[in-house]
Amino acid sequence: MADTIDQMVRDAEAAMEAARTTADLNAVETRYLGRNKGLNELRRSIGTLPPEERPAFGARLNAAVAALTEKLAARRAELEARELQERLAVERVDVTLPGRPMPVGRLHPLTQTADQIKRVLIGMGYEFVDGPELEDYAYNFAALNYPEDHPAMDEQNSFFVTDTRLLRTQTTALQGRVMAHRRPPFRIATIGRCFRYEAVDATHHHTFHQVDVFMVDRGIGMSDLKGTLGAFARALFGHDTQVRFRPDFFPFVEPGVDYAIAWKGRWLELGGAGLIHPSILRAYGIDTEQYSGFAFGLGVERIHMIQTGVNDLRLYLENDLRFLRQFGHFI
Amino acid sequence: MRVPVEWLKQFVPVQASAEEIATRLTMGGLEVEGLETAEEVYHRALREGCSEEVAHAAAALAPVLDVYVTPNRGDCNSVIGVAREVAALYNLPLTLPHIPPSVEGDEAARQTSVQIEDLHACPRYAARLVRDVRIAPSPVWMQARLLATGQRPINNVVDVTNYVMLEMGQPLHAFDLDRLEEGRIVVRRARTGEVLRTLDGVARTLAPDMLIIADARRPVAVAGVMGGADSEVDEVTRNILLEAAHFDPRVVRRTARDLGLRTEASYRFERVVDPNGVRRAADRACALFVEIGLPLAVPGVVDVYPNPMRERTVRVRVSRAAQLLGMEISCTTAMECLQRLGLTAAPDGNDSLQVTVPTFRPDITLEEDLIEEIGRVHGYENIPETLPIGATTQGGDSAEGRFLTTLRQHLVQCGLQEVTTHSLTPPFPFDPPEDVTRRVMVRNALSAEISVLRRSLLPGLLDVAHHNVKHGVTAMGLFEIGRVWQNEGEAGEVVPAEHLAVGGLVVGAFWPSGWQKEGAPPVADFGTARGIVERLCAGLGIPELKCLPPDAQPGSLPQFHPGRTAWIFLGDAGPAGVVGEVHPRVSAEMRLRDRVYVFELRVDALQNAIPPEGPRYLPLSPFPSVVRDLAPRIPEEVPYAEVDAAVRAAEAPHLEHFYLTDLYRGHPLPEGLKSLTLRFTFRSTERTLSDADVNDALSRIRTSLETRCRATFVA
Repeated sequence: MADTIDQMVRDAEAAMEAARTTADLNAVETRYLGRNKGLNELRRSIGTLPPEERPAFGARLNAAVAALTEKLAARRAELEARELQERLAVERVDVTLPGRPMPVGRLHPLTQTADQIKRVLIGMGYEFVDGPELEDYAYNFAALNYPEDHPAMDEQNSFFVTDTRLLRTQTTALQGRVMAHRRPPFRIATIGRCFRYEAVDATHHHTFHQVDVFMVDRGIGMSDLKGTLGAFARALFGHDTQVRFRPDFFPFVEPGVDYAIAWKGRWLELGGAGLIHPSILRAYGIDTEQYSGFAFGLGVERIHMIQTGVNDLRLYLENDLRFLRQFGHFI
Repeated sequence: MRVPVEWLKQFVPVQASAEEIATRLTMGGLEVEGLETAEEVYHRALREGCSEEVAHAAAALAPVLDVYVTPNRGDCNSVIGVAREVAALYNLPLTLPHIPPSVEGDEAARQTSVQIEDLHACPRYAARLVRDVRIAPSPVWMQARLLATGQRPINNVVDVTNYVMLEMGQPLHAFDLDRLEEGRIVVRRARTGEVLRTLDGVARTLAPDMLIIADARRPVAVAGVMGGADSEVDEVTRNILLEAAHFDPRVVRRTARDLGLRTEASYRFERVVDPNGVRRAADRACALFVEIGLPLAVPGVVDVYPNPMRERTVRVRVSRAAQLLGMEISCTTAMECLQRLGLTAAPDGNDSLQVTVPTFRPDITLEEDLIEEIGRVHGYENIPETLPIGATTQGGDSAEGRFLTTLRQHLVQCGLQEVTTHSLTPPFPFDPPEDVTRRVMVRNALSAEISVLRRSLLPGLLDVAHHNVKHGVTAMGLFEIGRVWQNEGEAGEVVPAEHLAVGGLVVGAFWPSGWQKEGAPPVADFGTARGIVERLCAGLGIPELKCLPPDAQPGSLPQFHPGRTAWIFLGDAGPAGVVGEVHPRVSAEMRLRDRVYVFELRVDALQNAIPPEGPRYLPLSPFPSVVRDLAPRIPEEVPYAEVDAAVRAAEAPHLEHFYLTDLYRGHPLPEGLKSLTLRFTFRSTERTLSDADVNDALSRIRTSLETRCRATFVA
């Protein structure tokens, strides 16, 4: 009987050696170590032995099973490693092929620029407020100190839909709406679409986007305006940007200036600014002996054009995908 | 305003180059937009048809500054006005021409009279007479100065009036005295039906609110705008009446606008001319008549000016100037700056100045106006940069802004490209007929292309698709967020309402498949558009989204494919928007060959559909889920919405969620039936579910499907 064990172990070892795959090996395992198979079958014949021989036979059998199990595990590890190796070799792909295309969603460049402006101004304590695009004459002009029938309105040819409602010509129209129910100090900004009757060309459009920023607090002067514009311009255009003031006229500011930034050796006019006209502050019950404030405005398109070199305003509303796809980047 | 540098130097001894003057003026507030060279002036003069000699003389006055005068600075619409600015900015003396003053009344008052019926509209009118003039060309030097400033020479009398206007800013007009009925002037409002043929030869019907100059009988000029042809000075004129007057800026502006007639005179009157300079201008013209060889004027002037305008006094605190400008200013500096501008400033206490403002500067009425003058003469380059010191304010985006940012993020994540299209559009030909009166129209539209405020974002999106298809892009996914308008007035009344909308468009294989065809998304279809809407709602946390066919709601959708369009409902409110295929007629009109799918939603409807209480945490169940499928066969005409409703109505216990995994039609199913595969996930928060639990739940669902959807199940 003992010889039978030895014989079976030898056979099993030879079969393991001969196994080429883990599947072969599984068959070997079943044949020699399966339930009621191979060595386990021998275990059943233990009853046919004289009782004194049984313990020794049992011990030998157990040792043989243990040894075979160990060898089987080692052989399995060996085969598995080889099979994995082969699978990996077969599964190789051409990694230089392009991937599955994913559609890239992008924001419109004007949204990207507006977001950038918002980040800068919010960081400086400005709260954004939205106003209607179809505005009351009162807020668009009268509340901003435009006398009736004044030549200042020649530059603001308007689209009227009724006697009193027009598409806003400037986001400054928000100032009256805000000041009617806010007490200083406040810092407010708005971004939105404006409309003026203009012939459309590369630098003029009847539809454009404007930022308007205004604040009122104690002791505000032109130097605060200049400093704020400086900080704002440096955040948008780089740390060495300079700001310059030039006197200009807007009915809603006094003094009024046109401001420019130095950009690549040239002065670029960005927009209008000034101290909020005292008549406007007083109209909203703000004591001008205690409080003063400044306001400035600028074009969203203009900022994007300076930053990226776009040279035709019309591109922003044309929405040519070849244009839009150039501006998907973080700014 | 064109200002020849040589003419400027007649009044101010400025030595600087024209370029330097241009820069200084610009930085001082009078923007010089261009500099015309001698050569350019010469050619311009020749183009105007003048002689070589005059063209050479005009060129000798160059360079010519092209000054943009802001609407508040009417005083700078003259060479002397600009010279005063130059004098102030360079701190140089201003020398004004010597003008012998006329005496009020005298012989002139015996020969003519002036009657003003509306002193508000015409506070002052001065008339002088010149007899026995011989009409001829003016001398070369005068023609040259007119040409250099852009005025065409006419004859000696008219040229003098224009010359004075350019020099002093006061428009003048010369009438042929013998053609004035009774040789006198009446300033009055026009009468209904009165017609005046103006100098440009156009017969103009006057309206009763227009201010006119009349003789004893009829209108002879539109006040402050243009003279009449019948009383024009021409070669046979012997005697003239010279008008110098002051008109209300708004009256002139309205009249000029209503007549569609803008002139050098109306331009200046609209921007306020000094009422106290009126007689001086008339006298200056009379002096020039003599200088160019015309007779001495009839002695005296008729000058009706019952309420002379007084000079205003404005106080300015130097400390306040320093605070508002944000720079150091001494009392002496402030005073000097104001005096350089021709203002009289005297100390008033140790911080204040009492400033007398001449009537040619009506723009200065407040302390802040004087502060601006001090600042700009002192130089804005001296203002330092500081940052406001004060209370901390809470910065942040608006609620609307934050919501739109989220909306944009979701749509960008769907792979859509944001676009911004026109708010001003042509009328969209596919608007539902009952909605045409809902359009908000621009009243003064010059072109149909920009005559309507968009009611919807879809026409703009279709335009963008069309534009890009034309340029070879066949597949795209777009979205826009923007304002749209609708007229909510009844019976012809215009009550425009503005709201925000979000719209999207998909066409073609906007998810491109690349070289790996297997598993690639198909060409955009209804499901793509609807899927984007679902994705958006899921992203925003909107719990309920229903799409129902067009007949579920009153109102027609002629711009959409009737069988592939749905109203979108979010909760119980009315429709929040539409999703569907663009009607083939519309696509054809837009020259889009592929099927185009669009959606549009009101932003407020999305906002309102989000549960206001915000997310609440639900404990996670530690027990395993059970997944089971059901495959009901239902009649073709039963829409999926009813299947969905039937499952919900079953109120099956422990049902976590379910979804449709397959929809099958055809063999071996009989005609008129479709087979759905629904996958259900069950889970309890309290225990591991048994087979019995799940079978019970499924049988409830089956029963509900059988009764509500006539579903059958294959054993």
